[in-house]
Amino acid sequence: MPPRASKRKSVPPNSSTVTSSDGRSVSNKAKTKGMEKIDRLFNTYANSSLGMIDPEGIEALCADLGVDYTDVRILMLAWKLKSEKQGYFTREEWQTGLKALGVDSLSKLKKALPELEKEVEKPSNYEDFYTYAFRYCLTEEKQKSVDIESICELLNLVLGVQFRPQVDSLVEYLKIQNDYKVINADQWINFLRFCKEISFPDLRNYDANQAWPLILDNFVEWMREKQS
Amino acid sequence: MSNQKKRNFQIEAFKHRVVVDPKYAEKTWSVLEHAIHEIYNHNASGLSFEELYRNAYNMVLHKFGEKLYSGLVTTMTAHLKEISKSIEAAQGGLFLEELNRKWNDHNKALQMIRDILMYMDRTYIPNAHKTPVHELGLNLWRDNVIHSSKIQSRLLSMLLELVHKERTGEVIDRGLMRNIIKMLMDLGSSVYQEDFEKPFLEVSAEFYMGESQKFIECCDCGDYLKKAEIRLNEEIERVTHYLDVKSEVKITNVVEKEMIASHMMRLVHMENSGLVNMLLDDKYEDLGRMYNLFRRVPNGLSTIRDVMTSHLREIGKQLVTDAEKLKDPVEFVQRLLDEKDKYDNIISQAFCNDKMFQNALNSSFEYFINLNNRSPEFISLFVDDKLRKGLKGVGEEEVEIILDKVMMLFRYLQEKDVFEKYYKQHLAKRLLSGKTVSDEAERSLIVKLKTECGYQFTSKLEGMFTDMKTSQDTMQGFYASHLELTDGPTLVVQVLTTGSWPTQPSITCNLPAEMSALCEKFRSYYLGTHTGRRLSWQTNMGTADIKATFGKGQKHELNVSTYQMCVLMLFNNADRLSYKEIEQATGIPTSDLKRCLQSMACVKGKNVLRKEPMSKDIGEEDALFVNDKFTSKFYKVKIGTVVAQKETEPEKLETRQRVEEDRKPQIEAAIVRIMKSRRVLDHNNIIAEVTKQLQSRFLANPTEIKKRIESLIERDFLERDNNDRKLYRYLA
Repeated sequence: MPPRASKRKSVPPNSSTVTSSDGRSVSNKAKTKGMEKIDRLFNTYANSSLGMIDPEGIEALCADLGVDYTDVRILMLAWKLKSEKQGYFTREEWQTGLKALGVDSLSKLKKALPELEKEVEKPSNYEDFYTYAFRYCLTEEKQKSVDIESICELLNLVLGVQFRPQVDSLVEYLKIQNDYKVINADQWINFLRFCKEISFPDLRNYDANQAWPLILDNFVEWMREKQS
Repeated sequence: MSNQKKRNFQIEAFKHRVVVDPKYAEKTWSVLEHAIHEIYNHNASGLSFEELYRNAYNMVLHKFGEKLYSGLVTTMTAHLKEISKSIEAAQGGLFLEELNRKWNDHNKALQMIRDILMYMDRTYIPNAHKTPVHELGLNLWRDNVIHSSKIQSRLLSMLLELVHKERTGEVIDRGLMRNIIKMLMDLGSSVYQEDFEKPFLEVSAEFYMGESQKFIECCDCGDYLKKAEIRLNEEIERVTHYLDVKSEVKITNVVEKEMIASHMMRLVHMENSGLVNMLLDDKYEDLGRMYNLFRRVPNGLSTIRDVMTSHLREIGKQLVTDAEKLKDPVEFVQRLLDEKDKYDNIISQAFCNDKMFQNALNSSFEYFINLNNRSPEFISLFVDDKLRKGLKGVGEEEVEIILDKVMMLFRYLQEKDVFEKYYKQHLAKRLLSGKTVSDEAERSLIVKLKTECGYQFTSKLEGMFTDMKTSQDTMQGFYASHLELTDGPTLVVQVLTTGSWPTQPSITCNLPAEMSALCEKFRSYYLGTHTGRRLSWQTNMGTADIKATFGKGQKHELNVSTYQMCVLMLFNNADRLSYKEIEQATGIPTSDLKRCLQSMACVKGKNVLRKEPMSKDIGEEDALFVNDKFTSKFYKVKIGTVVAQKETEPEKLETRQRVEEDRKPQIEAAIVRIMKSRRVLDHNNIIAEVTKQLQSRFLANPTEIKKRIESLIERDFLERDNNDRKLYRYLA
């Protein structure tokens, strides 16, 4: 469903369309009215002193949506909102995101969630979402890697549905290996490629002499040892 | 008259009708026929050449060439059949002689006949496309004599019998053989080949097959080869004496095949006398013989080379993994050098310096030297030993030879950077203890290393030498400007530039008062002339000479380490000191202190201290005293020399770790260099290029290279290509 916002945007703000009594154009009024609703929704959850929705607010939102705080759909929502900081939604992010979704109320938002899932799963978006998921975990300034625990959870969350066996084995391995205490972006993106390209669980087409990250070479070796 | 036409004279063809008397041809022919008879009957002297020639000439001229020719054929054939019979009749050995004699006769006759019939040879025969007289004569001989059923096989078997006799040691008439063989050759190469050479080669093959079987059962390898060589030479000689020169290569091939090629493997691997034994016992002559014989057969030399290579690798492997032999590094390296010398000699004396063998030698050495990862350390220790005392009194040329040999071993090392680390450590110890035999030898080796590995390898080493020289100058300056100190203890300071010298982090211990004051004076002097520098005393690397007087008045000069000096000086103010007191007063780290006390209290001949209890180990509760009963037959007693030693296990691990750490930036630098110029490159090529670039220093591990690439990706030096995952891209 194309976001209604763009349609509205295509109408110039002060065009010579029907003007209402107070001088504003209808479209403007409509727009402002829609935005008002979104804003109001925002304020319901926002922390007033911060001026943005904080983790508590998100938790409340989740409760109202009937979705678990740790559900992957919230991550998808964050992606849609292009949220920069984990656990926080700014007003702008909220506005842009909800407009893009074409929703302005809680019930509409709830209804939009399944469609959002489908959108994310589209191949063109999926890799972007996947990469976003990692970046979302970089909470500190200049942080480049994420600790193993969090990665395992993230893998479950993001890839668990589509690639359950790979994720299970990978998570098991990550927990017992000692070479790496954190995972960086390069390794993360290659996990996805691995799941997509390598036949599992036989790992037949995996070639350690190629440019796979070392952690995956070690993983494959571990798997093969287990299997023999 | 003058108006008359000039008449051209024409000489008209002779139109004289020649009346050919049919009987004329008969008559003429019979004259010639008779002549031929006479010639064959050795009665040619009565004939007139001129008359006969004219007769033949006339016959041809009068178109009786055909008759002449066919008559010749018939007559000659008849004669040859006669001759054949007489040859057949000859008994035993006379057969060949008779054949030879008749052949000579025939040739002489043929010559005369040809001379007589020369006109026909030149005119009728070419026109009528007939075989020329001489050739005809040979062909007729061939067909009627040589190929006559009674002669052909007998001739061959006689010839072969003679050859066999000669091979079994009898003397034969070589001249006769030569003539007969020449006859066959004259009759045409196909005659020689079919009627003699082919069967000869077959029979020879059988003969040599039998010979070789006989020999191989009863001879050892060296003897067998001698015999084979003799046989080979014999055959070659045979050819020069009475066979066609073209047969040489054919018969030698037969001998080579039967005597050498068929038994090659058995000979090489013969127990107790095969190649390996020859190598072990330096049997140059036998080896040379084997080389010369085997090079004649396909795969001969490569067989020798392969056996030699696997043997060398075996020996080498044993050498480098034998724990006994590894106890003394200097011995170990000497043995390697000895082994190399041995094989260099073998290759030059017996294998004609053949490059193939030199390469095999090099690759074998490279293989097993690198099996033991302590080889770099040991080679450095060997060099250390030589430069410390081994080369004392050795002439300059010999020094060069030894250093060149060491360089050759160095070239075989894959982990040259490990060698560099140890060499630096050992050099530092040599320089600081002043224990190098020849400055020139040291420098010569540095130059060799520089030539081999480039400037980078040796720049720090050279820096060490510079520091030593500079320190000397500094000391001179120090004492020149502090004349009041000439009466006190003499201080010698080596100022080492950090970075050039192997790092030895250490805590400075507490020096005795006299020394610390002096050191302070030096420090201010030095910093006065070199502002902005920082000096830290390396008390774990120094030495001291102390004069000591013991209980009974014995005086000795003790050469000790700085640590030991600190301990000893304490006893100027106390008779008894506990371990703890010493530890506190000196501030020397525990393991060093224990070693230091052990060397002064527990070693016979160096026990200037006495310990209670008298155990070998230093316990925390022990007490120490000066050993008033100390004696030594030397006035000067050396207690604490800092000699380079084989590292202990933990030290070894540490050094290896440091080497691994040092390799990481080198690998990264190589990767960045390569990517900077190539911009985009695929994974396998990066690995290959990096390995190649670093080859001269160490063998890079592909896994390590991968790790470094990932590290560079993390730090945004490189990125993976979005579409082709095998490619890496350089990020400017």
